[in-house]
Amino acid sequence: MDTSLIVPGVIFGLSIGSIYFLMAIGLSLCFGLMRIISLDQLLYYSVGAYITYSVNLHTGSFWLGVLAAVAAGAAVSLAIERIVFRRIYERDLTFSMITSFGVLLGGVGIIKFFWGLVPRPVPVPISEQMSIFGTEIPIYRLIVILVAIAVYIAIWLFLNRTIIGKAIRAGIENVEHVEGLGINVARLFTITFLIAGTLSALAGALHAPLIMVDPHMGLEVLAFVFMVVIIGGLGSIKGTLISSIIVGQVVSLGSLIYAPLAQMAPFAIMLLILLVKPTGLFGSVLLKR
Amino acid sequence: MNTGSNLLDVEGLSVSYGSAKVLFDIALTVGPSQIVACVGRNGAGKTTLLKCIAGFLKPVAGSITASAASLVGLPPYDIAKLGVKYIPQDKKVFSDLTVRENLELGSYATKDYNWEPVTTYFPKLKTLMDRKAGYLSGGERQMLMIGRAILGNPKVLLVDEPTEGLAPSIVSHLKNVFRELSKKSALIIVEQNLPLVCAISDKIYAMNDGRIVAELANEASIRVEVCEQYL
Ligand SMILES: Nc1ncnc2c1ncn2[C@@H]1O[C@H](COP(=O)(O)OP(=O)(O)OP(=O)(O)O)[C@@H](O)[C@H]1O
Ligand SMILES: [Mg+2]
Repeated sequence: MDTSLIVPGVIFGLSIGSIYFLMAIGLSLCFGLMRIISLDQLLYYSVGAYITYSVNLHTGSFWLGVLAAVAAGAAVSLAIERIVFRRIYERDLTFSMITSFGVLLGGVGIIKFFWGLVPRPVPVPISEQMSIFGTEIPIYRLIVILVAIAVYIAIWLFLNRTIIGKAIRAGIENVEHVEGLGINVARLFTITFLIAGTLSALAGALHAPLIMVDPHMGLEVLAFVFMVVIIGGLGSIKGTLISSIIVGQVVSLGSLIYAPLAQMAPFAIMLLILLVKPTGLFGSVLLKR
Repeated sequence: MNTGSNLLDVEGLSVSYGSAKVLFDIALTVGPSQIVACVGRNGAGKTTLLKCIAGFLKPVAGSITASAASLVGLPPYDIAKLGVKYIPQDKKVFSDLTVRENLELGSYATKDYNWEPVTTYFPKLKTLMDRKAGYLSGGERQMLMIGRAILGNPKVLLVDEPTEGLAPSIVSHLKNVFRELSKKSALIIVEQNLPLVCAISDKIYAMNDGRIVAELANEASIRVEVCEQYL
């Protein structure tokens, strides 16, 4: 292994981990509060990437594309929450899993209809590099990492410093008691779903220049995102952050050591962690309901 | 009977869990400033009754009326907003939140930010404001559960086994608190502690196997020996 590859490898891993993190927070919060598995988050991720692609193509501005993607993610997830999830929150976990998988597949069909099957490239908005420890690092990847850090801080402040955030934390522990105080939990559910959908779209938008945008991109990250959620512990934001860093590094450094490792190593790590701690790193027993 | 002056009227209430019927034709009334107790063996259906009034369970038949508003079919948060609040048996506070944050949620729900009554009833909470509620003792948790529920001056408090597992000194403190609270709110208290029940109640309903089997409403019958017959 070439040691000069380590710094870019770590940065690469952090940027991939950042994308996973943005998607995993939403999944984790949705499970924590509403007890749903929202596979359709992967649709909002794809929608985010495609909107960025199209807006960038027509206006030449990638960042305008990101804004449009976030707005679209918010709008689509809000609509799906109203039309689909409101009716199934009360049902079993498996129900939401199957329904949201249906939403995902249907959405992928719609994406194929509008954008076709051909993978679309999105140019990297900032092609400059920056020298870190003597190696050249793409600035865009650093920006992705910074965005993830900013989102982490914003979510932390939201959950710990605002009353709605506190109500969401309380609801993750015991949603009935929150209702019993007279707090409209349906509204908390909508807000949480909206946050998740918006962050998924942001993840897709930021990921677009680093990959090819294609209709099945959501399914490609599915395994990794779920791994992040499971390793971190369902419902824990801190756990999600740490596990996304771990998974990102394992994917990136693993591929430096031996390419096929990138695909396999994260699964091995997940199994190991689950053997030691079945609730994930920061998963709390509180979540049993 | 619906006299019109009652804060809460329950009539013909039946509740099932799936196909298992657990409450049969329950009728009860609570008047202003009344403390109404509900006693009965484990599994008699007391918790089910309170949860149904609070909206967590939908009845298969019957009506629940609070100050002329029908509660059946409303979500629990609307029922709480109407001033009918349930204090659960499980003593589960939001353990990851501080005492202050627990109270803030009660205030947020009711827009009542005056904690004076809470800290008057439970001075101890003042010293615990920044402690995570998960670290509180059983008695302190019960104080917090009651404290965060009485914000917004509820009309009817539904209190489920408040003294279960608590030390005698706290039980007698709660007894005084319930007496004080009843000046502003009516209470339905589910309780196994018969001396306490008999000391504070204006009316006692005895339940057995999902039915109300006795209603004790005068001083002659509100006695521990009488209650014991139904347990
Ligand atoms: N979720 C549920 N599903 C099915 N049956 C239930 C459920 N909850 C309670 N029951 C049953 O309903 C009956 C009444 O239970 P409930 O909890 O209301 O009794 P309780 O009078 O509060 O008892 P305790 O004094 O032990 O608290 C019991 O037979 C119980 O087994
Ligand atoms: Mg009970």
